[in-house]
Amino acid sequence: MRGYPAYLIGRLGQFLLVVFIGINIAFVVTHATPIDPVEQTIAAATQFGATSPEAIAMMRQSLKELYGLEGSLWEQYATFWRRVSVGDFGPSLSAFPAPVSTLILRALPWTVGLLTVSTLLTWVIGNLLGGLAGYYLRSRTLRFAGILAMALHPIPYYIIAFVLLIVFGYLWPVLPITGGHTMNMQRGFNLAFIGNLAIHSILPITSLVLAGLGGWFMGMRALVSNVVTEDYVVYAELGGVRPQRILGSYVMRNALVPQVTGLAMSLGAIFTGAIITEQVFGYPGIGTLLVSAVHVGDYSLVLGIATVSIVAVSFAVLLIDLLYPLLDPRVKAR
Amino acid sequence: MRILRSLALVAIAWTLTTPANAQRQQISDLPRKDVLIVENPEGTVKNAGWFNIWAVNAGSQSNGLHQLGMDTFWYIDPNSGVDGVWDNSLASEKPIYNSDFTEMTVKLRKGIHWSDGVEFSAADVVYTIETHMKTNGLRWSAAVQVNVASISAPDSSTVVFKLKKPNSRFHALFTVRWNAMWMMPKHVFEKAGDLIKFPFDPPVTLGPYVLNSYDTDGKWFIWRKRDDWQKTTVARFGEPGPKYVAYIDPGPPDKRVIAQLNHELDIIHDTSPEGMFTLAKQSKTSRGWFKGFPYAHPDPTLPMVIFNHQNPLFKSRDMRWALALLIDMKAVSMASYRGAATISAIGVPPTGRYPEYYHEPMETWLKDFEVDTGKRKIKPYDPTVGKQIADMLRPSMGDQIPSDPKDIAKAFGRGWWKPDPQAATELLERAGFTKRGNEWFTPDGKRFTIRITVEGDLRPVMTRAGSMIAQQWRQFGIDATTVVAQGSLLDRRNSGDYEAIISWAVETWGGHPDLSFFLDSWHSQFIAEPGKPQPPRNWSRWSHPELDKIIEQIRQIGFDDPKGIELGKEYIKLVAREMPTIPLMAYNVFTVMDETYWTGYPNAETAPYTDPVPNWGNTKYMMVKLRPKN
Repeated sequence: MRGYPAYLIGRLGQFLLVVFIGINIAFVVTHATPIDPVEQTIAAATQFGATSPEAIAMMRQSLKELYGLEGSLWEQYATFWRRVSVGDFGPSLSAFPAPVSTLILRALPWTVGLLTVSTLLTWVIGNLLGGLAGYYLRSRTLRFAGILAMALHPIPYYIIAFVLLIVFGYLWPVLPITGGHTMNMQRGFNLAFIGNLAIHSILPITSLVLAGLGGWFMGMRALVSNVVTEDYVVYAELGGVRPQRILGSYVMRNALVPQVTGLAMSLGAIFTGAIITEQVFGYPGIGTLLVSAVHVGDYSLVLGIATVSIVAVSFAVLLIDLLYPLLDPRVKAR
Repeated sequence: MRILRSLALVAIAWTLTTPANAQRQQISDLPRKDVLIVENPEGTVKNAGWFNIWAVNAGSQSNGLHQLGMDTFWYIDPNSGVDGVWDNSLASEKPIYNSDFTEMTVKLRKGIHWSDGVEFSAADVVYTIETHMKTNGLRWSAAVQVNVASISAPDSSTVVFKLKKPNSRFHALFTVRWNAMWMMPKHVFEKAGDLIKFPFDPPVTLGPYVLNSYDTDGKWFIWRKRDDWQKTTVARFGEPGPKYVAYIDPGPPDKRVIAQLNHELDIIHDTSPEGMFTLAKQSKTSRGWFKGFPYAHPDPTLPMVIFNHQNPLFKSRDMRWALALLIDMKAVSMASYRGAATISAIGVPPTGRYPEYYHEPMETWLKDFEVDTGKRKIKPYDPTVGKQIADMLRPSMGDQIPSDPKDIAKAFGRGWWKPDPQAATELLERAGFTKRGNEWFTPDGKRFTIRITVEGDLRPVMTRAGSMIAQQWRQFGIDATTVVAQGSLLDRRNSGDYEAIISWAVETWGGHPDLSFFLDSWHSQFIAEPGKPQPPRNWSRWSHPELDKIIEQIRQIGFDDPKGIELGKEYIKLVAREMPTIPLMAYNVFTVMDETYWTGYPNAETAPYTDPVPNWGNTKYMMVKLRPKN
């Protein structure tokens, strides 16, 4: 463990570099958008009502001043880093003067809640079924589960989502298809509201689980199929160890290591949002916010969301890198 | 394995025992029959707790705020109006101008109260205007600062505006056509501090509703009828029907259709033609503006092929006319709206009362109108195109297609230009274009190419129209293709970064014949230099001395002067001759209303009292006509 501090410093340096480069790329890309937020605002303000051309010219100038878009790109870049260093992304250009951080913090709990539950569910169910299917090769139920997982895996996510929407929203309308909770319901930490949240999240979560299950299932089944041929498993079987114990302590535990890495990566990616899910099910969250910001050229907001995502994914990778040497002696040796 | 099997059995049992008609609870604590549920086309509102509508683009407008909570001097209905097209709302009479249009006096209605009980008075108007005069960055700051020299209130129900220069249409700033400049409650805003940062939550309203509750995530807003609704301007027409009105984000078009089939969405703002046809077939309680085909409400807006006149390619009138004669409007109608389009050959939309103001009276002139191809004179107008579209649709749509010529004209429009490739060839040759093989070349010998900019899946109907037109031009030998701009369409259009674009440069009052709403901005004085942003709405940057003369004459006359219609006809004749843009059809909005819980919606046949498209500020009049079904 003597080399661990040096390893830690090296990885931390990499993390900071990746975040810095990632945010810079996001800055360049968002500012290269052909959509001008001032023109979008003017269009929104004038596209239906009476408009005098002289007033539009005056409005354009005052909006540029208001939004702080008058300086050069370098000046905007310097201002951006000054703000980001203290956790401030500035005001949203499409919901001025609301701060970007307020909008993100309002949307983030929905996305994190939805994706954490669905990611963990997908991971647990997929790995459990995959592990069982890899071990109990003769089980007809598990073989059927394997066929189902393989059949679902290549179906595009939005098809699964729309099928669920039509089945449970129209043909057999028992589940809500829009929103995070019932309209006009008082929010609070009580059973009624939490139950209502849970019911509204059934379809989005089910769609994500169905779409993601196949990957974990097939990965785990392949891993287990390899592990069961290892000598220590064969010895355990010959030694009369109970199959459940072999599966739990000898096979699954060893096969899980790469799957844990995958889980950490997936949890890091939660902060990028579930754009299609949120759009299809009208679920509040970062994805909806991002799409709307892109459409109106609100690069402050796009940049804020991109920065949060870059930091989250990089941090997840950093965490795995830091934990691996502690968990796996082979990594430590290197 | 036993656990897995048990779980599966429980799931199946739950599935089988749950009644198929189990209804999802949609609204908590409010009876569904008391709530009108309406789509807000703004979708999810990012800054939901923001109701300061005077701060530009900070929050939502059409979440019920401007329809139910705001008020101003006058409303012009895009259709016929509850009591005529013009309604004096906060004003008790029409605007009173002095002889040279440098002063406008407004008499205010008495007995109108804000929702917190304070009486509305001239002091609110003076405060609203003076605040906009001294504060930059509010929604109407620039419009007020450009026009108003001073405002005074001789008494509590009169205000006098002194203008910086003559403006015979100054009242348009306070006349609702979708929206207008709304009045501010002085007693609230004078204590607000920085107005740009004041959210105005909860809003104090002048309209007949107050905010009941809203979703901080911006998915829904519920408004409650004021107990003192008699002290609002709509009380002249009766009590608003719905106790509550919810403006919601129902999601993409397919979900809106599902929601209405489940009777969970009373008014769909807009859906696809296909969604409309599904509802017409599957729901007995859903109806559009027209009872049958084409269902949609034609907005007073005219989608068109807009040429960029700062591009030398489009300088030739002959060439522009040739392009018009290569379009088969029937095919464009079928491709874009699946036939549910209301076409117009002339430069005003065929909607509201415009057919009676302009289309019918211009019919004879159009039939006699000639285009000189250089080799002969042709009469390009075919008055039967609307009827031909109706005839094409009748075999598949049956008795949903009207057969009475008047009804056909109302629903599908009248005539359009006849496709005439021979005349187009002659016109192009006269303009110096040449054909080699099956390809056309410009006078300077380059391949004749046109890029038509379209919005893509953000506006599929217009995109399909653009694709069909490009295809028709391509079949003739022009290298025409579409360019999908998605969200950058507005920027490209405004900065002139296009060759041709499918959009609209003509919007009208709908109910009132005055054309200055869009036409004033077509004066050559406002044309921007290439690359610089063009102010709305002359996106084609076209100018013509005759047009300037018409606009200047309109500026000299009053809003209701009958000469206005005559000058409007002169504009129509000029743009028919010059063809600066190719008018296509009305912007048809598939607003669908479900009569399960509410009746009395506006419709084309028996109740054209207002526009049903629910994001219009004018829909406040719909509330007094709606009644519970039972």
